[in-house]
Amino acid sequence: MIETDTMQLHKLVEEALPELDTMIGWAAGEDALHTTPIFIRGAKSIPRLIWSPFCAQNLTGYLVKPPALKPADKHKQIGICVKGCDSRSLVALIQEKFITRDRLRIFGIPCRGTVDWRKVMRQVRLSHVRSAKVEDNRLIVDDAGGTHKLNLEDVLARKCLRCLYPNPVVYDVLVGEPTVSRIKPEDIYRDVDALEKRPLEERLAFWQSELDRCMRCYACRNACPLCVCQEHCIAETRDPKWLTLRMGIPEKFLFHFIHAMHLAGRCTECGECERVCPMEIPVTLMKEKLNKIMEEMLGYVAGLDPTAIPPLLTFNPSETGV
Amino acid sequence: MAGKIFIAIDRLTLALDKLSAKIDLWIPASLQTDNRELTEFVPYHAGMVPILDRQTTLPPKKILLPQVETLLRFEHRKDPQNPLKVSVSLDDKSEVRPALVFGARPCDVKGFLTLDRVFTNGPYVDPYYLERRRNTLFATLVCLQADGTCFCSSVGSGPADTEGSDFRVIPVDGGYVVDALTQKAQSLIDSLGDTPTQHQEAQARQVVEEASQHRVGDLDLTGSAEAFRKRFANDDYWQEMTAQCLSCGICTYVCPTCYCFTITDEIENMRGERLRSWDSCMFYQYTLEASGHNPRPSKLNRYRNRAGHKFSYIPEKYDGLIGCCGCGRCIRSCPVSIDIRQIVGRLKENACESE
Amino acid sequence: MTDPNPYSSAALAEAAEQGIKIAGFLCNWCSYGGADTAGVCRFKQPTDLRIVRIPCTGRMDPLFVAKSLIYGVDGVLVSGCHPKDCHYAVGNLYARRRLEMLKSFLSFMGIDARRFHYTWVSASEGQRWQQVVTEFSEQIHRLGANPGVRKQPGENLKPVGGQKEAPIP
Repeated sequence: MIETDTMQLHKLVEEALPELDTMIGWAAGEDALHTTPIFIRGAKSIPRLIWSPFCAQNLTGYLVKPPALKPADKHKQIGICVKGCDSRSLVALIQEKFITRDRLRIFGIPCRGTVDWRKVMRQVRLSHVRSAKVEDNRLIVDDAGGTHKLNLEDVLARKCLRCLYPNPVVYDVLVGEPTVSRIKPEDIYRDVDALEKRPLEERLAFWQSELDRCMRCYACRNACPLCVCQEHCIAETRDPKWLTLRMGIPEKFLFHFIHAMHLAGRCTECGECERVCPMEIPVTLMKEKLNKIMEEMLGYVAGLDPTAIPPLLTFNPSETGV
Repeated sequence: MAGKIFIAIDRLTLALDKLSAKIDLWIPASLQTDNRELTEFVPYHAGMVPILDRQTTLPPKKILLPQVETLLRFEHRKDPQNPLKVSVSLDDKSEVRPALVFGARPCDVKGFLTLDRVFTNGPYVDPYYLERRRNTLFATLVCLQADGTCFCSSVGSGPADTEGSDFRVIPVDGGYVVDALTQKAQSLIDSLGDTPTQHQEAQARQVVEEASQHRVGDLDLTGSAEAFRKRFANDDYWQEMTAQCLSCGICTYVCPTCYCFTITDEIENMRGERLRSWDSCMFYQYTLEASGHNPRPSKLNRYRNRAGHKFSYIPEKYDGLIGCCGCGRCIRSCPVSIDIRQIVGRLKENACESE
Repeated sequence: MTDPNPYSSAALAEAAEQGIKIAGFLCNWCSYGGADTAGVCRFKQPTDLRIVRIPCTGRMDPLFVAKSLIYGVDGVLVSGCHPKDCHYAVGNLYARRRLEMLKSFLSFMGIDARRFHYTWVSASEGQRWQQVVTEFSEQIHRLGANPGVRKQPGENLKPVGGQKEAPIP
């Protein structure tokens, strides 16, 4: 139950807070469909913490993005709330030694999926949303136009519909009851497969029309917890100059190639890139394909084993190839 | 009563077709029709249906300030008789055609007032922007679709504001009453529709009256310049307000009043072009200096600058003009729900609550 | 003045006149040596290949291939030492994974993966080098010039409402 989970979360955080330097969680956003990350240092702010199907943000990026959290006390841990997908990002960060496991106090929350507000708006043009909750597989939204009841599966984010890891894979404390995945393992690449079935020219036309909308705002890169290069990203450097500032399709293609391929074998499909894109480009789809290649070629799935090395950063002499 | 016509909803595309024969037309539409929430201003083609029931995701800013613009082209030529002699030819021709933006909202058009002050006032006038500005007309809707994140009234505007518009498009039963507000607009309006009936005129007046009274946004964010100055050095406040920021830059790209740009030369061998493209004060590189020093190294500095620019520096430099039109796009598009209304609204609070 | 934008129709036409261009990334120790051996033995080869010498295929960033194909190079060939025979011991073992991944990904993005080929040629295999270059060059000629993704935005996009979109200024 969402409400009891939130109360349990408050209680657990209250107990842990004296040992934590900062607690990172979610608080209410500009309306009932949105949340915003919150950084708690004092017990006074704990009541603002929420857990709901609207807690879409992946908070793990704040552990490593410049300026990273400057904890006042290096001997204390950092508390963080993670859903199943976010916990895999944590594992990926630990794998690449961006953060150590013992520095974290992980509040793992099993998740039944987060709501994509754009999908809601496509079904109902909402205005002045007053309240929103999920009940019995339905989203119930109250706005200026009345009460609307929507099928939950129609409004969940695309990444949630194909999620195999709804329960955190790493945690110190579990908040709520473990849950089951909505999809069978053999179906998780269905979106990739659907595109692969189409002929080459259609695939190119698809990506040309999708990427043409790209504004190179770099939100996808900035939202990604593993894209830590930030201001040194080669997509923006002028020396060496990989990309001009022209807004042609080759530039947009190359930017997305750079972004996706630097995540090959590392991306844990947290879906933030696609969620933040203001132009609704299916950014995660490219990484899903790369992950599918990794799984088929090398049997590797990112973000599960903190001791594993991402496959493109290593080699195996006995592998057969060309 | 010249200058007013009524266009029935089912004859709107016909009217737009006629209009597009006289002038380049831009309308709010969906770029790809399959199932997206995304809308923006696109060039009109025969038969397109404008989307007028919602604010567009992207403002019409790019029509007057394109995301990438070629300022000039240059080519180096070597003299085969004298290899040491290299000549440079320059070409800064730009082709600007008259255009009409149909279906903008007061907030969209208000944004251009800030850009006008920056690009066309004072001793240094931007000829590229100026030419586009002079050649573009705006037919602005009376906005009846404000939602929870709109706040145009909070910044001194409102849903019936016509500042900067050439036409006013008033939704009435069964269609729109279009009112030409400027000389240029008068000449375009002929034969696009019928003279409005008495009833339609009365209804139009009522719609405008109600919209003018309707307050969009509870806070009053005007006159925040001094409060901003007082709170400038309060790092705790800004740290709390900006901790979630990803420095992604979406807010600046969807904002009708943001105009920061960078100029780069893109050179291939002997020829090249000088491009002016959108930049964002939210990016680290924006203030990065050649020495490596950066006066705004953290997102705290950068966001504080953004809020200050819109609500303090622009009002102080341009006689009280607020550099924000209250469209709310930054709030809607922000991946972490940073709300500029909260941040500026709380500036006037006295104490900073520390935990 | 000619349009300095290298992706304008005029620039594309000019590039097309120059014929098929194939980029070759050869590792300094084995494959570059192999190409040299082929030259010393005067083996006849097609002249479309433009060679870039890299110290090792481990230096091969898959993005070199991606950028080449996106921006209109007609074919890309990568060649290095045989696996387990790398001059730097393990460079080509990294390369093998990266380039294999790239082949599949290029195809997914709509770029013809037949325009990219990677192989292992040692310094003494001059005849084999001739064969590799000849076969790959023939393949690229069969595929023709690379239309790639070079088209200006607005061309070959899905039309909206049955009308073709004008380029967005």
